[in-house]
Order: sequence, then C-alpha cells, then structure tokens
Amino acid sequence: MTFTATSETATDVPQRVDSFRHNVLGLEMQVETPENVILTYQLAGPAQRYVAYMIDLVIRVLMVLGMMIITRMLGIVLPGTAFGMFLVFSFLNTWGYYTISEGFFKGQSIGKHFCGLRVIRDEGYPITFWPALLRNLVRSADAIVFYGIGITSMLLTRRFQRLGDLVAGTVVIQERSLTLPRKPVILDKIQPLNKNEIGSFLPRDEVLSLIDEFIGRRHVLTYDRGHALAAILANSLAERLNYSGDPKKVTHYPMAFLAAVYKTFSFAKEEEEQEAVNAYHGLGSPAEVNRE
Amino acid sequence: MNKHKFIQERRPHWKRFEALLENASRKSISKLPTKEISNYSQLLREVSHDLATIRSRGWGQDLISYLNDLVARGHNLFYSAPPANLAGVYHYLAFEFPRLFRANMGYFLTACLLFFLPLGISWCVVQNNPSLASRVIPAEMMSQFDQMYGEDSSLSTESEESAEEGQESDESEELPLGNYGDQRALMAGFYINHNVGIALKCFALGILLGIGTVYTLLFNGIYLGAVSGYIISQGNGDRFLSFVISHGSFELTAIAVAGGAGLMLGNALIHPGQRTRFQSLQVRGLEAVQIAGGAAVMLVIAAFIEAFWSPSDDIPSSVKYIVGSGLWLIVFIYLGFAGLQSNSQLKPVGNKRQDSAAETDLNRERQA
Repeated sequence: MTFTATSETATDVPQRVDSFRHNVLGLEMQVETPENVILTYQLAGPAQRYVAYMIDLVIRVLMVLGMMIITRMLGIVLPGTAFGMFLVFSFLNTWGYYTISEGFFKGQSIGKHFCGLRVIRDEGYPITFWPALLRNLVRSADAIVFYGIGITSMLLTRRFQRLGDLVAGTVVIQERSLTLPRKPVILDKIQPLNKNEIGSFLPRDEVLSLIDEFIGRRHVLTYDRGHALAAILANSLAERLNYSGDPKKVTHYPMAFLAAVYKTFSFAKEEEEQEAVNAYHGLGSPAEVNRE
Repeated sequence: MNKHKFIQERRPHWKRFEALLENASRKSISKLPTKEISNYSQLLREVSHDLATIRSRGWGQDLISYLNDLVARGHNLFYSAPPANLAGVYHYLAFEFPRLFRANMGYFLTACLLFFLPLGISWCVVQNNPSLASRVIPAEMMSQFDQMYGEDSSLSTESEESAEEGQESDESEELPLGNYGDQRALMAGFYINHNVGIALKCFALGILLGIGTVYTLLFNGIYLGAVSGYIISQGNGDRFLSFVISHGSFELTAIAVAGGAGLMLGNALIHPGQRTRFQSLQVRGLEAVQIAGGAAVMLVIAAFIEAFWSPSDDIPSSVKYIVGSGLWLIVFIYLGFAGLQSNSQLKPVGNKRQDSAAETDLNRERQA
C-alpha cells in the first residue's frame, strides 16, 4: 500500500509541474523568481525583431554617413588621422553597436526600444556586458545568408532564440504597458437581483471573476456572439440560483443578467461583511451610522 | 476576502511601487537613498505575494498580467548587475583573462597547431619554391610586396595583411596622405578595423561546430606563410622580419587565442560532457567570449605597435629585433603568469553562473 502511494505521488507531481512550466505552444516564457513567484514574459517573435533590426540598420547607416561628413571636414587638416578614426568608428559600429546599447542600456538597442523589445537572461535577470558581447559577436554567424541561420534557429527553438541567444543564454521579450484593469462601467447601471427571486446558492469566487473578466472584455466579441456565449453561463446560473424573476431577463439579456449576478454577490457580500464587522464592534448597521 | 476589496486595499501599494519603479529606472538603483531601497525591497516582496494570491484564487487574467509585469520590472531592476567601472576592466585584464586563458589552454594549443603549422609549412615551401606563391597570393599583391619591402621604399604604406581586402587598401591609397604621423594614425585605424574584425569573426564562426574557426585559422596561416616565404625569397628578408617581429608577438598570438575561443564554442556542441548541448554551450560560451575579448584587446595593442613602431625607418633593425623579442617575452609572461597571485579570487562569471567558475577550477585541477 505505502509503496504504491509513494510511487503515485512521485510520478504525478513532476508531470504537473512540467505541464505548468512548459507550454508547448505559445509566446510565453515562465521564470521562477527568488520570491518563489512564477513570472511570465511574453517572447518577441521573428517579425517584431525584424522590424527592430531594420530600425537599427537605418540608424547605423545614418551614423556612418554622419561620421563620413565629419571625416571629410577633419580631413582638410589631418586626412590620415581622420580616416583612421573613421575606420575605428566603423569597426565599433559593426561590432560594438549592439553590444554597447544592449550591454549598457538595459538590454535595449534603439530599434528594440522603439518596438518595446528587451533582451534579458533566460533566468529573468537583466543582461550584462559579457552575454551582450557574446550574443552580438555570434550575430555574424547568424547573419550568414541574410540571417538565414538565425531565423532557422529561431523557428526551431521554443523561445525564438537565434544562435547568439542560445550561446549567451538570452531571450528577447516584448514589454507590455502597465495598466491596472478598471472596473467595467456597465456595473454602475446594473441593479442587483432581488433577494426574493433567488435561492440560497452562492457562486464561487472563480465564477464571479470569470464574469468580471468577460464583461470587461466584451467589446472583443460581436454583439451576437457575446450574447450567445453569455447565455450558456447565464442559463446554468439561473438554474442553480432557482431564479424566479422575469425569465426574459435570462434569455434575452444574458449579459445583463450575468452582470446583475456579479453585482449581487460581489458587492452585496462586501456590504454584508462590513455590516457584520460593524456589528461586532458595536457600531450598528451602516444606516445608523449614516443617520448620526 | 473578495476581489474588489483586495484591489481596493492593495491598489495604493501597487501605485507606490509603480512610482518607485519609475523613479529608479531614471537613475541607477544604487544611487537611491537607503530608506527608499529597503522600501523598494519590501514592496517587491509584497507585490510578489499579491501576484501569487491572485493567481491561486483565479481572480482574472488582466489583473494577473498587470501584477506580473509590475513584479517583472521590479525583479529586473532589483537583481541587476552592479555598474561596470574601470576597476572591473583592470581586474579583467590583469586576472580574469589570463586565468581563463590558462584554464582553457588546450584549445589555444590546438588553435596554434591549426594556425602556425600551415604557416610554417607554406613558408618553407614557398621560400624554396617562390613560383608557388602565385597560387595563393593575387598577382598585384605580389608586385606590391616587392615594392614595399624593396630597398628604396618605405614600409609605411601597406602591410602584408591589408592585402586581404583589396578594396580598402585601394581607398587608403587614393587619399592624399599627410605627413608621417598622420599616415601612421590612418594605418592604426585600419589595423584595428581589419585585424580585430578577423579575430572576432574567427571566434564567432566557432559556433558552427568550429568549422568556421578552423577554416579561418588554416586560411590565414597558409596565406601569411606564403607571403612571408615569398618576400624572403625575393631577398627582402631582413626588412620584412624586422618589420613583423614586434607586432607579431601580440598579433599572431591573439589570432590563435581567438581561434582557441572559437574552438571552445564548437567543442561545447560536439562534446557537451555531462550537460545538455545547450547548457554546455552557455557555460563555455561565457568563458570563451571573455577569452576572445582579451584577444581583441591584444590585437588593438598590436595595431598600435604595427602602425607606429614597426615601420619606422630611423630605428636600426637590430634594435627592432631586440624590442620584438622583448615583446614576445612579455606576451608569454602575461599569458602564462598574470593573475597567478592569489590575492584576488576569481569571481563567478556573469549572473548566477557559479558553475562556470566551478568548471574552470575543475579544468585547472585536471591540468595540474
């Protein structure tokens, strides 16, 4: 008995961890931080990186052209020195542009900055000088046949890594903008369900937050499709709740019904809790407090 | 606890953390006041905890992704590397590079074999049989060498390696050249651009299972050997040897060093040992690039010697031979003995790369 039990847990647990960490398809990379929290990063695909590369290419060409003009002007006085400096500059431009920009400016070249991309280590740490140098020296191997080798490598690896990324242990991620999701506006206009029309069933938290999310993102769907999807949940919820109000509310306006359910339980619960807390502290109900 | 209440309660903290992040991203985190840093570290852990809470309760993807990005940014900033400084550069050149080099001596010796052996063979063959030189060296280059190292000319305009890229040397000839020092500055720029580029490419192509590196080493070895043999067979031996001996110390060694680093990359893929191929590539790649970086620095030094010292006509050949031998000795001592003193321990390479340092130690033990 004990033997089978241990063997079960031994096989079960790692599998679950595995399926959690390695999404077979998808643009997400997961990293565990020292705080034992799993972070997800969104990986940047070849197309985005190509755009960033083109921007960088234009900038590099412009830099060389600018340096040429300076060289010509300096060349009036010291032609040799000026041209020597130009050669050193073009060397730095060829071999150092990415290393310097990624190594010293938090993993972003100018093109990557415009495209919202960033190079990080695959453990989630910021990139440092040596990995930046390594990944950009190996760029010259990736660049063979118009980046044919690099693109092939990107398509064959799970994290879209070219050879330089593989050897330096880096990935390119897409940065998202920080916006705290707002409470959907629709909720302000919706009345909670009448307490007399529903039974004692309490939807679980997950169901409520599913409704919340669905309402928050309803603009993504067409009107018909959104209602069709909402109807599935609305019908089964109405059944569980023993909803005895107007059945048209469920069938004709399932989304509004969901919002009403959400409002009833999400906010009512909060008020009830507050009431209970107040009662415990001997403050009485909030209505009394208001009266005072 | 309910989602809305949770958000209401935690929201001010998130906003504060956001503001801190904004503040810290503008200047370096190490310059923030102590109080703010401890505040930051506290908040990072709090927000991490919030993220875990929300994820376990399934409170919505958009909230998760908001907090995820908040933590990710905080994490990135919090665990960033200390800023680089000049002391770090010195430490690298004085200790880390020669140590890493010695720890991976085998690759360097292999690269030497691949570079100096063909060089010697093609040198001997061409010197004894100059007509063969035309098979390796383009005809116009050969006549250039005759002029350059001939009795009356000065050594200043060209060198043997610039021959490899005809276009660039043509450009430099077209320019109206100024006085002697000015020409030298031009050549210094040229050598840096050209030679360091070759060495870095030689290293980087090692990732293709080492094939690119082997090819570059063999090709350059044969080519340089043929050039040397040809020039000496034309009776310009003294001028040529006194020219190359000084910068050759840094230059030829550095090419072999860079080649060795390239072979490390290739070998990491071919013989990964106990690791997976990708792991072994990452661990050894980080060492290899530091060796290649040292080779690049050596080539920059060589470029200045080659441009300013080697071609000067005022210095008698005997002095050049003495100085040149001294430089060879310096290179030997530097690579062989620098960083042996134990006052400064080898730092782990990069972030969280303890194991690479461990491997270095292991290699060293194996050699001892």
